[in-house]
Amino acid sequence: MEWANDKSKGGVLAHLERLETQMSRSCKNLEDPPRETAESDLGTKIHKLRCLRDKLRAEVKQRQARIKASTANAEPDQTLEISEQEAVGGKEENMKAILQAYRFTGLSGKRTSRGVCVCISTAFEGNLLDSYFVDLVIQKPLRIHHHSVPVFIPLEEISAKYLQTNIQHFLFCLCEYLNAYAGRKYQADQLQRDFAAFLAGPLQRNSLCNLLSFTYKVEPQGRSFPFCARLLYKDLTTTLPTDVTITYQGTDASSTSWEEQRASHENLFFTKPLHQVFTSFARNGERLDMSLVS
Amino acid sequence: MDETVAEFIKRTILKIPMTEMMTILKAWDFLPENQLQTVNFRQRKESLVQDLVLLCESKRASLRDAALLDIIYTQFHRHQKVWDVFQMSKEPGEDVDLFDMERFKSSFEKILRRALKNVTVSFRDAEENAVWIRIAWGTQYRKPNQYKPVYVVYYSQTPYAFTSFCHLKSNTPLLSQALTVASNHHKIVKMDLRSRYLDSLKAIVFKQYNQKFETHNSTMPLQETLELDMHMDSRIIHENRIEKERVQRVTQETFGDYPQPRLEFAQYKLETKFKSDFHGGILAERKEPLRCLIKFSSPHLLEALKSLAPAGIADAPLSPLLTCIPNKGMNYFKIRDK
Repeated sequence: MEWANDKSKGGVLAHLERLETQMSRSCKNLEDPPRETAESDLGTKIHKLRCLRDKLRAEVKQRQARIKASTANAEPDQTLEISEQEAVGGKEENMKAILQAYRFTGLSGKRTSRGVCVCISTAFEGNLLDSYFVDLVIQKPLRIHHHSVPVFIPLEEISAKYLQTNIQHFLFCLCEYLNAYAGRKYQADQLQRDFAAFLAGPLQRNSLCNLLSFTYKVEPQGRSFPFCARLLYKDLTTTLPTDVTITYQGTDASSTSWEEQRASHENLFFTKPLHQVFTSFARNGERLDMSLVS
Repeated sequence: MDETVAEFIKRTILKIPMTEMMTILKAWDFLPENQLQTVNFRQRKESLVQDLVLLCESKRASLRDAALLDIIYTQFHRHQKVWDVFQMSKEPGEDVDLFDMERFKSSFEKILRRALKNVTVSFRDAEENAVWIRIAWGTQYRKPNQYKPVYVVYYSQTPYAFTSFCHLKSNTPLLSQALTVASNHHKIVKMDLRSRYLDSLKAIVFKQYNQKFETHNSTMPLQETLELDMHMDSRIIHENRIEKERVQRVTQETFGDYPQPRLEFAQYKLETKFKSDFHGGILAERKEPLRCLIKFSSPHLLEALKSLAPAGIADAPLSPLLTCIPNKGMNYFKIRDK
């Protein structure tokens, strides 16, 4: 910073002027002699590049001509290519359809960037019900990234037991729980929807559909007193109840005929899915009607 | 009809906006359709309310009916309450939960009444096997205050319960006990999660917020959106294209493609010692930890966080303290030195 303070030499602007004149002097010394050689060098370079360009242009023209000649002869080859493409495309469509159809096996999956997305498609009595997904990240340890399993299904328990040690068992166990839940839910929904006429009050249920409580009549016209049913499904992997309690609240509760009916109903609920039990009630009702008519 | 009940019904109906009046009254199902048709719904609200209250009087509406109307109003306006989340747990290896809704309700009410005579408990069944419970607290000597009730929403056979914020903290232990015992659980803990948006809280704790799954039936639209921007105008050159693509990819990996659950804030309580590279700074020598509170607020916090890196305001990836919110189910954090 000494020069800035050197007032005797005229300050900053004067200094800059001096630097400028110095620069132009030194440039002039350097420029003049090499200028001519630089120019001639550039000239030869340009000439060389032009020659190269012309050569390449000629080559391109030649190649284009060659290709035109060969494509005229090569048309049958092209059509062969197209049909091959179509065949591959057809196979691809077929494969896609097969992969989509795997859903119907109940357990299918698709590779993802981080692992695999497993799809569990539930079914009951040949009816395809909801699908649930588990997106797995293939890492050590194996973990679940996200899923659509309902919160009341014990997914944490099942994964704590089997996910790290035996993934097949994990998936089959989860399949069992979900299919059983879907089956129980299907039965309860069917009862509410198709046999509402037989119910004397609302169907009480819970999230897992493992406790059902309802009052029903054997005949929708309701000449008889209703039965109270309480179905417990203590085994979450089954679609049939483990406990059935039927009570009859009529005045002639002690009579044997009602006791027989009650016992037979209990047996029905133990052995058949809900909607089938009520279908048989409906059929018996029809038979009774027919007998009355005839 | 009791005067207090009439006043309560009047104030509840007054809260209902005119556009929702018919819907809510129909859901209440206390005044039959033919009676509702005799009322002039085009008059001024005050007169309409008077007519409706008169009808309720003629039908001898009880406190129970009034409480039910209050529940329905709150169900339609759940965002007006701030909801906390409680998590319950069972002993391992317990029997299968055979949840009976009627037994739950009677057990819940019994436990409250045993401790507190002056309490109003009302229930309304909701979809997905859930129940809305309304509790108006009183004290030993005072009747329940119907204007400051607490709501509890419980989905059967789940370990979570959602409660509306209660000013009277003293009744929380009793409420917790009633919930735990009635639902066959053993322990209950309050989660560090709070929001006005009940459905978002449910999505977070039930892990329902990410419902996009890759299947063979669907095609994943991968970097589509980014490429669209690129082709908008060929005269625009994106200088940081590679960096922008990286930010998009990292954001998508962290936040996913799905709509984020709605929270209004995240709060971080720091109790840490000051860490600094400069030796000899004023705070470096301080032995006590610094205490400070940082609160992020937004009409939609998670969407706002998601847009930070793409907007260039923050680096990607964001701090895990911000991105772990839905995964951990927390929006209150306490950070201490380990």
